[in-house]
Amino acid sequence: MPSSATSSAATSTNNDINVSIEYFIARLKRRQIDDTYAMALETLQLLKRFISAARWNHVTELIEQIRQLADRLEKAQPAAFCCGNVIRRVLAVIRDELEEDLRDTMVTTAATTNTVAEPMISSMFNLLQKPEHQQQQQQQTQEQQQQQQQHKLQRNHKSKTDFRQVAIQGIKDLIDEITNIDDGIQQIAIDLIHDHEILLTPTPESKTVLKFLIKTRERSNRTFTVLVTEGFPNNTSKAHEFAKKLAQHNIETIIIPDSAVFALMSRVGKVIIGTKAVFINGGTIASASGVSLVCECAREFKTPVFAVAGLYKLSPLYPFDVEKLVEFGGSKKVLPHMDPHKRLDIINPITAYVPPENIDIYITNIGGFAPSFIYRIAWDNYKQVDVNVGQAP
Amino acid sequence: MAGKKGKSGGKSAQNGLSKGEMAQDDRLQAIVLTDSFETRFMPLTSVKPKCLLPLANVPLIEYTLEFLATANAKEVLLVCSSHATQINEYIEQSKWNLPWSPFKVATIMSPEARSVGDAMRDLDNRGVITGDFILISGDVITNVEFDKLYDFHKKMRAKDKDHILTMCLSKASQYHRTRSFEPAAFILDKADDRCLYYQKIPTAFSREKSALEIDPELLENVEEFTIRNDLIDCRIDICSPLVPAIFQENFDYQMLRSDFVKGILSSDLLSKHVYAYITDEHAARVESWQTYDSISQDFIGRWCFPLTLDANIMSDQTYSYESGHVYKEKDVVLAQSCKIGRCTAIGSRTRIGEGTTIENSVIGRNCQIGENIRIQNSYIWDNAVIGNKSIIDHCIVANNAVLGQNVTLDDGCVIGFDVRIDDNMEVPSGTRISGTPVKSMHPQDFGMSDDESSDSEKEDDKIIGSLAVTLVGSQGLGYKYESDLSDMDEEAVDMDKVANDLSNRLEEACLSDDSISSATTRTRKKRTMSANSAYTDREENASDLEEEEEDFQVEGIATVKRAIENNHDLDTALLELNTLRMSMNVTYHEVRDATVIALLRRVHHFIATQTLGCKEAVTKVFGQWGLLFRRQAFDPEEYIDLMDILMNRTSEQGFEKPDLVLFSALNTLYDNDILDEDLIYRWWDAVSQDPAFDEVKRLTAKWVEWLKEADEESTEESSEDEEDTSEEE
Repeated sequence: MPSSATSSAATSTNNDINVSIEYFIARLKRRQIDDTYAMALETLQLLKRFISAARWNHVTELIEQIRQLADRLEKAQPAAFCCGNVIRRVLAVIRDELEEDLRDTMVTTAATTNTVAEPMISSMFNLLQKPEHQQQQQQQTQEQQQQQQQHKLQRNHKSKTDFRQVAIQGIKDLIDEITNIDDGIQQIAIDLIHDHEILLTPTPESKTVLKFLIKTRERSNRTFTVLVTEGFPNNTSKAHEFAKKLAQHNIETIIIPDSAVFALMSRVGKVIIGTKAVFINGGTIASASGVSLVCECAREFKTPVFAVAGLYKLSPLYPFDVEKLVEFGGSKKVLPHMDPHKRLDIINPITAYVPPENIDIYITNIGGFAPSFIYRIAWDNYKQVDVNVGQAP
Repeated sequence: MAGKKGKSGGKSAQNGLSKGEMAQDDRLQAIVLTDSFETRFMPLTSVKPKCLLPLANVPLIEYTLEFLATANAKEVLLVCSSHATQINEYIEQSKWNLPWSPFKVATIMSPEARSVGDAMRDLDNRGVITGDFILISGDVITNVEFDKLYDFHKKMRAKDKDHILTMCLSKASQYHRTRSFEPAAFILDKADDRCLYYQKIPTAFSREKSALEIDPELLENVEEFTIRNDLIDCRIDICSPLVPAIFQENFDYQMLRSDFVKGILSSDLLSKHVYAYITDEHAARVESWQTYDSISQDFIGRWCFPLTLDANIMSDQTYSYESGHVYKEKDVVLAQSCKIGRCTAIGSRTRIGEGTTIENSVIGRNCQIGENIRIQNSYIWDNAVIGNKSIIDHCIVANNAVLGQNVTLDDGCVIGFDVRIDDNMEVPSGTRISGTPVKSMHPQDFGMSDDESSDSEKEDDKIIGSLAVTLVGSQGLGYKYESDLSDMDEEAVDMDKVANDLSNRLEEACLSDDSISSATTRTRKKRTMSANSAYTDREENASDLEEEEEDFQVEGIATVKRAIENNHDLDTALLELNTLRMSMNVTYHEVRDATVIALLRRVHHFIATQTLGCKEAVTKVFGQWGLLFRRQAFDPEEYIDLMDILMNRTSEQGFEKPDLVLFSALNTLYDNDILDEDLIYRWWDAVSQDPAFDEVKRLTAKWVEWLKEADEESTEESSEDEEDTSEEE
């Protein structure tokens, strides 16, 4: 539905925002932004500009536009989940506001209503309610008609809420949250590490893990040893840098080969992993290929596995096809270049999927949670209708 | 537009790093040479320019532009010569021309350019170069981190003000195939990778032995240097603005490497420096069908990560990755029983029938692949139709080609655009079929050959393709394309064949390492792989020596023969022989032997064809070419050896009158002051008693006797006429 507000004067700003979006997508495709943190922040900045430039008659149009943007960004780099995550959270903020707005109008128009705009599964109670709805499809269609009427009403009724303001405020809050994530995590972390403990981390590129360890050392003045896996072939240099930084902060650090993990696991007190994305079932994608094996070892020895993750890494998706979620890197790092018809095929996964049963606790900026509880947090922050942004709701 | 871009760049570049870079290299220019000035991709390049041919379903030029985008180039100029309008159209409609393109793109029409040199001169005339620029060929596929290369360039630039060119070279393993095209040896200063010398070396399949000749002056002031032939020249250079100017001054420079780089390095006047940046990353050019094949496989096998097919660099692509390096776009229809093997990419809306097996292949969009087909190591481009039960191995099937049922394409076939092949046909190995007749053009007309043949002014060129009914069947449509290089000498054709064939005759094409090290006696080659040197030593000890002599005889005879036939001057012939002698490391004895055989064969030829009588033939051949011996024999022993050879070979050649030939030959040489009497007597004393050659010596015996008499007479009258001795008879 083309909005009447879109005039020729607006095209220049539209073009401008298009340039930014395309440029961002191109950079995603070229993998010029490989840090999830930077990616999330850039996505939010882009979204802020997008919303400021967007024109709409009704807020549902805005939501649709944002969903399309999310879809494009997700397709640009399917294995990077944080772009979709942050946009979905902004969508949730807008939808919440819309709901509230709707409720207000409904109160004023004194319309009888029993449901809100979309089913909220935030508790077991609602879960049980759902099939009932499906049984009474007729009733539902009636409800929908009702809703449509309400929408029409809504459209005629000039909304008091400034959704642009709401969305931009939501983005600002989210940016604040993301930039302060480490503080939140550190608060919890300090209590979890004991004196003279041996820790193992297989994800040396995670800045969160690095800051977590350094802060623990500084604030509590506890002495502990960190074992860092080498992460051949993709992470070796990062592991060395990581170890160097830790050593500079007076933390005893040992780099171990990946193969030694099982042998050393009996001495390890805790395994700490960084994450790239956390799924709704409590499984996670970690940004180094050996992580799933390390977690498997830890389970064998009953060593607790801590996963540190900012809330923005939490994705409302379910990992149905793990193979599609794991990224595969270049072959060159594994073997020297040989003639294509005389060489082995090389599969070099650069990320790994860790199933929920191998993780004991997630430490997020809003607290520590068991993997089985992740879904609750997800539905607190996301709306179910926005899970699949590629499809019409 | 520029302002807008700056704005977007600034806002989206959150991390200060990339922002800083943008400010730093303000307007980095890039020159893309879209033409390779070669004919290797005929007949397909007669319809479409090479840089628009798809590799893994993406036009080749995209990979280069993608690289330039990651390199933060700000202005890209494409130099087009063949099919310039097609390229221009493509670029205008591509994403690079949209407002959010990372750089400004423009095409430069340079239709007269026949080589890199011409293109550079054209650029210089236009004066578009403002600063250091990237010079890249339009067929490069690479994941080189340009920032590192550029940093190296800037660092060296700061250190050395004569630095004008940085070449990006990629390390290759010993048996890598992309190495064997235009192989070259780079001599580098070990301390700072300054390139001291560049020389092309013969390809592995050439019969020529290779040797490096380095002017010792070049190595002055160099503490330690390495000679390397394990580098793939990926044609990514950073040039200073001086480079086009130097091309302008030296108007004979054609090639970037063998003329320009070599010229710069060996010139005393210019005293400019070239540096080499050596990287481990993947970088290669699509130079021939073979490299097309291997680079496609590399790309599918994720060797160029993060440049992969599932990055979907074209905006309309929807590839997703599955394990085993299988890439599929959306809307691919696969029958339940078909098998998709490893390293395969399938484009959107392609249908694959029951029981079909596909492995190591790339299938384009909208292809109709029937049932029970086997496709291996092949490249099927968009909209192709392949009938049931066909077998395709190691072939290329271009856009819109239609293959009937039960067609077999053998190793190395290239099926051109819009070709139709009837049912039940078998296309033999290495055949190239084009949809429209391709006009031939002679490379010598142009000096350098060209990517296209459709020059309108060359209408009179002979048409070599005719409707090849035997290949495509009665219902088919297609013309056989034959390489137009058949009139070149054998070796070039051989080489061309290997270079052009798609087929996987890999062993031949592998560049051997031993040939170099055996020739460099002066310098020790520092190999990166120890395996190589071990291999080399063994080679040298075992079989080289015997083989070389035999080789030399064949080569030497051929050289002299060529000289006679083409009527070269003596110096050229001598130079060639000498080069050959040195490269094969044989003595002058072999040289004389070869020369004698060649001359005698020539004589035999004249007599056999009855062009000349026996004596006239000998006098003519030895009179003109006997002078060669002057530079092949230097002391009396060697002259006697020469006469021995002459006698032996004369008897072996099987003349009707061997005695007459030997006598005439000796007499002619004597007349031309190549042999003097004393030597003849000494030789005669040694051989006259030998009964083995009695028949051959009959006339010679009389001649020697006569000579002795004459000699005595002349000594008597020596005071009067010395020179008469020669003129008398």
